[in-house]
Amino acid sequence: MIQTAARPRRLSPADVRARLGEPEEMIKAKIQDRIDAHFHRFIAHSPFLTMATADAAGRADCSPRGDYPGFVKVLDAHTLAIPDRPGNKIADSFRNLAENDGIGLVFLIPGLPEMLRVNGSAYPTDDADVLARMRTEAREPELALVVDVAEAYFHCGRALLRSRLWDPASQALADEIPSAGEMVAAQSGLDIAPDDINDALQEAYRKLY
Amino acid sequence: MQHTVVDRIEKIAEDTVALHLRGTSGPLAPWEPGAHIDLALPNWLTRQYSLCGDPADRDSYRVAVRHERLSRGGSEYVHRFLRRGRALDVSLPRNHFPLVPAPGYLFLAGGIGITALLPMLRAPAAAGVPASLVYVGRSAGAMPFAEELRASYGERVRIVATREEGRPDLAALAAESAPGTLVYCCGPDAMLAAAEAAFPAERLRAERFRPAHRTFGPDTEFEAVCARSARTVRVAADDSLLDALAHAGYPLPSGCREGVCGSCALTVLDGEPDHRDDIGAPEGRMYACVSRARSARLVLDL
Repeated sequence: MIQTAARPRRLSPADVRARLGEPEEMIKAKIQDRIDAHFHRFIAHSPFLTMATADAAGRADCSPRGDYPGFVKVLDAHTLAIPDRPGNKIADSFRNLAENDGIGLVFLIPGLPEMLRVNGSAYPTDDADVLARMRTEAREPELALVVDVAEAYFHCGRALLRSRLWDPASQALADEIPSAGEMVAAQSGLDIAPDDINDALQEAYRKLY
Repeated sequence: MQHTVVDRIEKIAEDTVALHLRGTSGPLAPWEPGAHIDLALPNWLTRQYSLCGDPADRDSYRVAVRHERLSRGGSEYVHRFLRRGRALDVSLPRNHFPLVPAPGYLFLAGGIGITALLPMLRAPAAAGVPASLVYVGRSAGAMPFAEELRASYGERVRIVATREEGRPDLAALAAESAPGTLVYCCGPDAMLAAAEAAFPAERLRAERFRPAHRTFGPDTEFEAVCARSARTVRVAADDSLLDALAHAGYPLPSGCREGVCGSCALTVLDGEPDHRDDIGAPEGRMYACVSRARSARLVLDL
């Protein structure tokens, strides 16, 4: 890697604001405090989101969630529910939320440059009515997160457009990455055959629910 | 699959809309009363709805969809997000609930269960075969097609709003009904249970729109022998036959994945299936999504 002479210098919030300028009134006005019909439609068509949480000390974590479009349920104009499907059982988000209930979500819809951002607070639940709405392939998740919405707004599509995320040609990038098995085998330093890891992953991916 | 377009979305009762789906690739496949189709919704969910239009109409299908309180995304999608003009693929009609010849019929509908029974009244009424309908719902406003039924069949139809009148006495109906009368029932669990208690099994035909709550023995491993290709597929205790077959290179069609729709039907040549569906598999058939095996192996026509 290229070594820099010194750590990049740190700007103060005032410096940052001076560089960026003030946001336009229209941008501020677009922040809503509720899930209206447009946001509801957006969530009902979104199969993927990222979820940011932090612990009491502010150490942050961001994790993905994905399922069929509309897997996040809009319980009412101020409340969402996100299923907790089987994953790595690390439960970072749950541990963080127990200390600090703040949560930030970004919803994506394939093909659409604009994103939906929702910020608020969250807690885990096993409410039977909520889990019943998440039953897939005859299985219900064990838990769900209830999100009390504080603010919701569309995020403009420039990041998605610059990243060409929905351009099918962009998928050629994946060819440049070694298989998960190769990377994990190398990082672990253990004597594991990469293909064994890949096979185990393929087996695990068969059971998505 | 058949290609259709949403021609009209019409509110026909509290919480209920009718969808008119017009075929866009030639005439739609014919169907008999009792049939249903799978609707492939834009949110990737597949849902089954009884055909409740006119079987003679080959240009369009009609289905009615109630907005379920605890919708997982099917009925909510239809009610809130589906728009006129949207293209929708639908399956060929399937019928697990056919009208068989009988000297008389009693139809018992609970709520949205009316959709499966609505087209059944016409043929017996036209042929002069005794047929009556008892249609039970919460309140008149929540019962689709009540007016249409009254106008077409008059005295043959009894509409019971439970909020005012309570539930009808099915035992009394059973006592009044002529011997040989076939009973067709489609409604919620409580109604199906009441019908099962009131009518002898050989006279009752029932259709569920949700899986019944039942318990089964533990899931155990078994082998599926694919006879035509002479291959054996191991089905692990935590796997379904449907998924194990798909993984082994035998993808079957699937819809509900909970034993209601019937799209994953298989022919069983040998072995004893453990039927866990709510359709009632005919002899020699099984539904791979939920059903397993009582014997160590099943021989399948695959």
